[in-house]
Amino acid sequence: MVIRIAQEEWRTLLRNRAGVIATMLLVALVLVAAFVSLERRTRIEADRAGYQASVDADFDKQPARHPHRMVHYGQFVFRPLAPLAFFDTGVDSYTGNTIFLEGHRQNSANFAEARQSSLLLRFGQLTPAFVLQTLAPLLLIFLAFTSVARERERGTLRLLRAQGVDGPRLVAGKLMGHGAIALAIGLPAFLVLIGFAAMGMADWAPIALLILGYAVWLLIWAMLAVVISCFASRSRDALAALVALWMVGVILLPRALPEVAAVETILPTRIETEVALHRDLARIGDSHDPEDPYFNAFKQRTLARYGVSRVEDLPVQYAGLVGMEGERLSTDLYARATNEVSAREASQNARVHGFAVLSPLIAIRQLSMALTASDVTAHQDFLDQAEAFRYRFVQTLNRMQAVLIPHIGGEDPRVSAENWKRVPRFAYQPYDPLRSNAASIGGNLMVLLGWLVGLSVLATLAARRIGGIVR
Amino acid sequence: MPHSSAIAPAIEIRGLHHRYGAREVLRGIDLQVAPGQIYALLGGNGAGKSTTLNALLGFLAPASGTVRVCGIDPAAAPAEARARLAYVPESVALYDHLSARENIDYFLALAGAERGRSSVIDPALEAVGLPGHAWDKRVGGFSKGMRQKVAIALALARHVPVLLLDEPTSGLDPKATLEFNALLATARARDVAILMVTHDLLSAVDIADRIGFLAEGRIEEERTAGPTGERFDLNALHARYANPGVAA
Repeated sequence: MVIRIAQEEWRTLLRNRAGVIATMLLVALVLVAAFVSLERRTRIEADRAGYQASVDADFDKQPARHPHRMVHYGQFVFRPLAPLAFFDTGVDSYTGNTIFLEGHRQNSANFAEARQSSLLLRFGQLTPAFVLQTLAPLLLIFLAFTSVARERERGTLRLLRAQGVDGPRLVAGKLMGHGAIALAIGLPAFLVLIGFAAMGMADWAPIALLILGYAVWLLIWAMLAVVISCFASRSRDALAALVALWMVGVILLPRALPEVAAVETILPTRIETEVALHRDLARIGDSHDPEDPYFNAFKQRTLARYGVSRVEDLPVQYAGLVGMEGERLSTDLYARATNEVSAREASQNARVHGFAVLSPLIAIRQLSMALTASDVTAHQDFLDQAEAFRYRFVQTLNRMQAVLIPHIGGEDPRVSAENWKRVPRFAYQPYDPLRSNAASIGGNLMVLLGWLVGLSVLATLAARRIGGIVR
Repeated sequence: MPHSSAIAPAIEIRGLHHRYGAREVLRGIDLQVAPGQIYALLGGNGAGKSTTLNALLGFLAPASGTVRVCGIDPAAAPAEARARLAYVPESVALYDHLSARENIDYFLALAGAERGRSSVIDPALEAVGLPGHAWDKRVGGFSKGMRQKVAIALALARHVPVLLLDEPTSGLDPKATLEFNALLATARARDVAILMVTHDLLSAVDIADRIGFLAEGRIEEERTAGPTGERFDLNALHARYANPGVAA
């Protein structure tokens, strides 16, 4: 009986011209979004790879120079896009993907204003994720809002009950019917993902979890529409309630609640951070001041280590050693500031995660961005790798200065251009969300499943209510 | 006239009381309908006709009294009781996007007829006189009379012993009413016990074997057609119907 009721829902959809057209449009939109987004990702990836190769070649072509000039010539690094970024661009548009690495300072997006917009969860580009997260729920509402309310309105509910159909079976049939429709709507996107994995362009595990997450998300809306339709006395009441829930749950809360988190945990502005860093750097000491206590002690330790009494007797260039020590100190300061901002961001994100109980969109969005490696955590991983590389890069040049310059001498000592090829190049290690972000992924999946369980309880209550209807 | 007190009633109501909140709508109804009998329950608005049907359908549990459909208490075992009755609501509710055949097939499937449905649908549609060209048309364009025929065809196709009709001739023109009554006669000939609640005195006089006058929650008077086929005295019945609460 349950299956027969579900089959009837499918037949109703197939005979509803507006429903069929709307469904086909959404499916087409998913496919177009996948194609366009894949094309865009491929182009951006090619551009970034090209730019990276170009700046690397330019670095190699630099003439003989003093290594410290190369420290300030620096290197550009570009963040490669994750394979699944075509499905969900996440925070990529807001965080920027290019960092200029140089000595003494951390020129990253760490302290950029754009970083703070990662929590705003704005409308993004046309991606399959956007279509499934924002538009698919509207279609599911449109297809299911009449499912039970109209049976009551036109009197067929009474006739159904007279045939022996009880509330639980009726609701189960409606849920099965619209659940299957919801999965069918998601199917084109799922097939694109499966095809992507089958071609070896992404791992199966995140794709399987992505499909699971979106399947649950779509089921939540199908279930919500049927449950509201059970409780509403008229179809139009059900539609009004569902559209209101969509506007609040999909549009309003995901944007308003992160603002609450941003107000509760305030991130320092870029200027505040820079000022604080300069103050802390000045507090450590000035390497150019012969009376500076820190660098005076550093000089004494260095002389003792080499067993000499004068800087001029050192086998290495003292200025190079000072450069290395200064870089170590400033990097520590930057790391401390970064960690502090990261902790505040983590606090904001934890608060936003908590709001997923109110709006499952927050959960699916966080899950989707995490699994496609386009979330803040993935971006932070890139920043961490870039910063680690910057330190190695700068210290390599400082070491060249310390070791090679004493053997060159002269007014304008320069090291050979051949040395630039020995400087390390940035090699981004692909980010694995399942290893680095498992807690967030698991937590968001649990929230989505929790919504399904909660709606199941509501569906049970709705079924009982139908059992008590006599008119 | 195939009714007899010796045959166990298919529909049996004794001392039925029911109230909605403080308002007592049924105050001790007694009613029996034997197989092959048509009982017309006449009453004005708010007399308790629909509540009586709801009790038979198992949609409500009576405050007191007994209700039986083929010996089954619909409130205690609604599925078993509903398996033995067919119900035609006042406003025939069908799925407009389905054809007559598809509507009957769907409801039959829900009623538990999993196999061989097509073998009973066509004879039922033929029996109710729905033109063949309309069988596969969507019922959204059907007149009320045609919808009634589909609903009766569903009832016939189910081959159940009890038929409950709620204002079945409401909105039908005289010709359609006569056709509908002929259908009921066909069902009666198959030994179906039929309870119709109605405002339509003419139709009741034309087809019913017994007529009960329901007023203020109780059956005030019952009249039975003559044993040799004499029909009711329409004028007397009209006077009775127009003056509820006044003894004949």
